[in-house]
Parts: sequence; C-alpha cells; structure tokens
Amino acid sequence: MNWKVNFAVTAGACVLLPFMVPQYSLTILIEALIFGLFAMSLDLLVGYCRLYSFGHAAAYGLGAYSTALILTQLQLPLPIGIMLAVLVTILAAIPIAWICTRSTGVSFAMLTLAFAQLGYAMLFRFRDVTGGSDGIVGIPRPSGPLGITWFQGKTGYYYLVLGCLLGSYLLCRAIVRSPFGAVLAGIRENEAKTIALGYNTRFYKIATVVLAYAFGGLAGALYAAFAGFASPELFFWLVSGRVLIMVVVGGAGTLIGPILGGVFFVFLEHELSQVTDLWPLIFGSIFIAFVMFAPEGIWGILTSRFNAKPEVPNSTDRKETSDAAA
Amino acid sequence: MNFLGFILAQCLSALSQAAILFFIACGLTLIFGIMRIVNFAHGVIFMLGAYVGVTTVAVTGSFLLSLIIAPIVVGAVGIAFEQIFLRHLYGRRDGGAYLLLTFGLAIVLSELIRIIWGAQPLSSGIPDFLRGIVVILDQPFPLYRLFLIALGLAAAIAIWQFLERTRSGLLIRAVSQNSEMVHALGTDVDLVRTGVFGLGCAMAALGGVLAAPLVTAFLGMGTTVVIDAFVIVIIGGMGSFLGSLIGSILVGFVQVLGAYYFQDLALAFMYFLMLIVLVIRPGGLLGKED
Repeated sequence: MNWKVNFAVTAGACVLLPFMVPQYSLTILIEALIFGLFAMSLDLLVGYCRLYSFGHAAAYGLGAYSTALILTQLQLPLPIGIMLAVLVTILAAIPIAWICTRSTGVSFAMLTLAFAQLGYAMLFRFRDVTGGSDGIVGIPRPSGPLGITWFQGKTGYYYLVLGCLLGSYLLCRAIVRSPFGAVLAGIRENEAKTIALGYNTRFYKIATVVLAYAFGGLAGALYAAFAGFASPELFFWLVSGRVLIMVVVGGAGTLIGPILGGVFFVFLEHELSQVTDLWPLIFGSIFIAFVMFAPEGIWGILTSRFNAKPEVPNSTDRKETSDAAA
Repeated sequence: MNFLGFILAQCLSALSQAAILFFIACGLTLIFGIMRIVNFAHGVIFMLGAYVGVTTVAVTGSFLLSLIIAPIVVGAVGIAFEQIFLRHLYGRRDGGAYLLLTFGLAIVLSELIRIIWGAQPLSSGIPDFLRGIVVILDQPFPLYRLFLIALGLAAAIAIWQFLERTRSGLLIRAVSQNSEMVHALGTDVDLVRTGVFGLGCAMAALGGVLAAPLVTAFLGMGTTVVIDAFVIVIIGGMGSFLGSLIGSILVGFVQVLGAYYFQDLALAFMYFLMLIVLVIRPGGLLGKED
C-alpha cells in the first residue's frame, strides 16, 4: 500500500530530525507537532461532520489544566498524568457534546464558544485551585513508570510528542475510514438523508465531539507538561480561532492537512515574528487568501499538483458538489 | 439610604450598558438574518468606530459630528468588504467559509488599526454638555449614561419603524424570509445585502463612538464585545431584531448586576444565561428552530 510507505518515510524522517537540527529548534518542533495534533483533533469535527467548533480551546485548556493539577498535586508519572488528563477531558466533553449537538451550523459554533468562554470565566472564579490570571506554573515532568526518565529531556519529549501525534493520526485515520466514519461523511453531505437511513446522527455527533475533545485534550496535556505552565489564555477564543485557521489552511477533511497547517503556522509565526511585528497581519492575509482562493487547503494543493488521484476518497466528490452548488 | 433610588440607579446603569450592546447586536442580527453570515469582524468594526470617533473629536472638536462621521466611514468600509470579499462566497454551499473569512478580516483589521493609531489607548473624554450628574431619587447618576439610554431607545424605535413601515424595511424582511422568491420577483437581492451589511457596520460604529468616552478606545475592545454580542444574538434568536433588543437588555442586566453582586461569577453568568435559554429553546427566545 502506497500510504504505508509514505507514512513510514515521513515518520522515519521525523524520528531522525532531532539529530539534524540544533537543540534550540527542538522547542519549535515540539510546539509545531503539538499544534498539529490539536488541529487534527478539530478536523474530526470540521472536516468530517462539518461542525464548526469555535470553542476547541476548551479541549486544549481542559487537557492543559488537568495535567497541571494532576502533576503538581499528585506524585504521578508523566504518562499516567497525561492519560488521566485526557480522561478528565473526555468526561467533561460528554455533557458539552450532549448540549452542543442539539444544534448545528452557526448555533453549534456559538455553543462551543460559550463553553470555552465559560471555562475561561471559571478559571477566575476558582482562583484558589487554578491560580486565576497567573495560571499554574512549575509543572514538573515526573519520571516513571518503572523508572523511565527518557522523556524528561527535550529530545526525549520530542519523541513522546511525535509518538502521540503518529499514534493519534493512525487512530483517527482508522476511525474516519471505518463504518463509523462513513456515517460521519453521511452527516456531512446530507444529514436528513442519513437520519432517513436509520442512523441516530445525534449519537454519532456526540461521539465525534468527545473524540475531538480527547485528542485536543491530549495536545493540551502535552503542551502544559512541555511549557511547564498553564495560563487562562489557553481557554480564550483566540486560541479556538487560531486552530480553526490551521485546519482550514491545512485542508479540512484530510487529517494530514491540518497537521501540516498547524506545523506551517507555528513555523511561520516563529520566523515572521523575528523579522517583523506585523506578522498577525500577514497571518490574517494568508488565511483570507486560502478561504477565498484555495478552500481545499495546503494538502489539497499538494495532492492535486503531485498526485493525479488524491489519497482521501471523499475529497474529490466533495469538490464536485461544492462546485456544482456554486 | 434610599433603597428605591438605589434599585433605580442599578437599572439605569444596566440599561445604558444594554444600549451600547444593542448597537452592536442589532447590526449583527440584521446581517445574519439577511445573509446567514456570522460576522466575526463585528467587534473590530465596533473598535474601528471608536477610533474614527475619537479622531473626529480630536480634529473637529465636535462629539455630535463624530456620531455622524464614524458610522458613515465605517459603513463604507463594511460595504467595501462585502463587495470585495463576501460577495464571491455567496454561491458556496459551505456556510463555514463566512465565519472563517470574517475572522480573517477581524485579524487584519485590528492589525491595521494598531498600525494606524498605535498601541496606546485613546480617550476623547465625555463631551462637556453631557458631563453632568443627574440626581434621581437622591441617587447621583451620570448624564452621559442617560444620554446612552435615550439614544439606544431612539435607535431601537427608528430601526423598528424602518423595518416595519418603509419599502426598504419590507425588502429586508422579505429577503430574510425567502431571498430566492424576492429575487424572482425582480428585486436586486445583492443590493439589499450590501445595504444591510453597511447598515449593520454603521450601527456597530455608532456603538463604538458612544462607548469610547466610557472605556477609551483601545486595541482589544472588540475582542470581548463581539462575544457579548454573539451571546445576545443567540439568546434573542438569530436574525430576530426584537430578539436582539430583548437579549441586549437581559445581558446588560446580567453584566451590571453580576458585576455588583457576584464579582467572581460575573463573567460566567452571561454564558449560563445563554446555555439555559438554548437548552430550553435551541433557536433562541424569538428565533426559529432549524
């Protein structure tokens, strides 16, 4: 299979990367991979169910704050702390998903936004636990289990993040290609018809929101343990907007595209912010250009250039339908 | 202490807050009703209005003039944006594209404002003739806030009459109900859309001019306000003019009373209100369920 070769080559290149770049670039690399993971988690909603979440920062913030609290309060090994944080995110996501999926379209976007902002507000309410506007600082990366310490260093942490990203990608890829994923595509293309076929679409949507939160929470957890702090800004709607930009610019509905989008923007931001303080302007302009002229995103451009047949089965017929509608 | 006077002062304070929110929310809801667009740039448009207003006051020295110039300038910016960008997306099936495009515009516009006006907050101060204090039932109350309530009320009545009594208002209502039918009957629907987008932006700009003396014009004043406006529009029902009025008043009260009695929870109250409304009525108070 072609994609397996591609995947192995890409993964191999990522594994070798720390040996080729200086240590300080690793920080950017790790951040890029974390944002790639975060963007990919949102793609499950945007690209596969056409549910535009404008509050995905809630997942990121939940993951980050849970990790921060677990690692600072309980003496647990880092991987277990991260897993617990993901579990907390999932538990919190269930009621959120239940309420948000009552509506679709714009209302869905606004509801998810409301939950993220509610989380933001709650951080200031429970100042004793969350540290209010200071956030939580000094998050350790405890060793273990079995005395493993390799992820405490920067290179080791890079591999931890890379492993999480690759694993999550494979998992998401399997999900969207399963019968479950086929129902999601049905919801995206024509929800009424999918309901008529006898599927309880609400259930599928709830499950997908929870899944997206789980992976988003993982990204947040990895970020908190890496940066060593969690601040209220993680919950703020600008984060949600940023990650949505990454998904769209990367190419929604492809999983790989949003990862590229996340990596692309972290690098772009890093490089541009060193040269000019106008980078948000450039950032916004690039984004507008993509929405206007290349709605299929970076990955869409790449695949149509170098590959006669795109790897993702749905992307071609989706384009046709949107062209027909236009 | 005069308890009744205290209550009244609180209510007036909430209403003046509601007046500013109404200017933003009403434009937002009109634009949504006509174009099915959630204008994420509305907060930045509001901010642009504040900056243009402050500059007008600085140049001409007239606050009343800024109330006229800022909406015209910002309305023109809105129309230009609609013509250059939004118009090309009308055919696209994907409603999310608007959300993304206006979000991109919000980023670009707020950067442009930073480049033009700088990062320092600008203040025009309350104009002299509105600077006084009025004593109501032994409670001092700023005249400027009464002015806001009066203006908000006047705007609400004017727009209501405009929508109900004029031919343009009729067209706007018709387009929001069934744009294809209006188009088939020979009306230039695109022109209505452009007009409403400009009008909505002008309204937000007016809100910005009015808010500037209270909070100064600063970068980021649009970031929180746009979310408040979204909450209002969602509570009232998307596309419903009356809903935006009711939503503004509700949120105005929740914000002012929440800040006074429950400081820690003030931020959260608004979202609680929205969640409760949506769980009971998913389409908002006066909205249609879709």
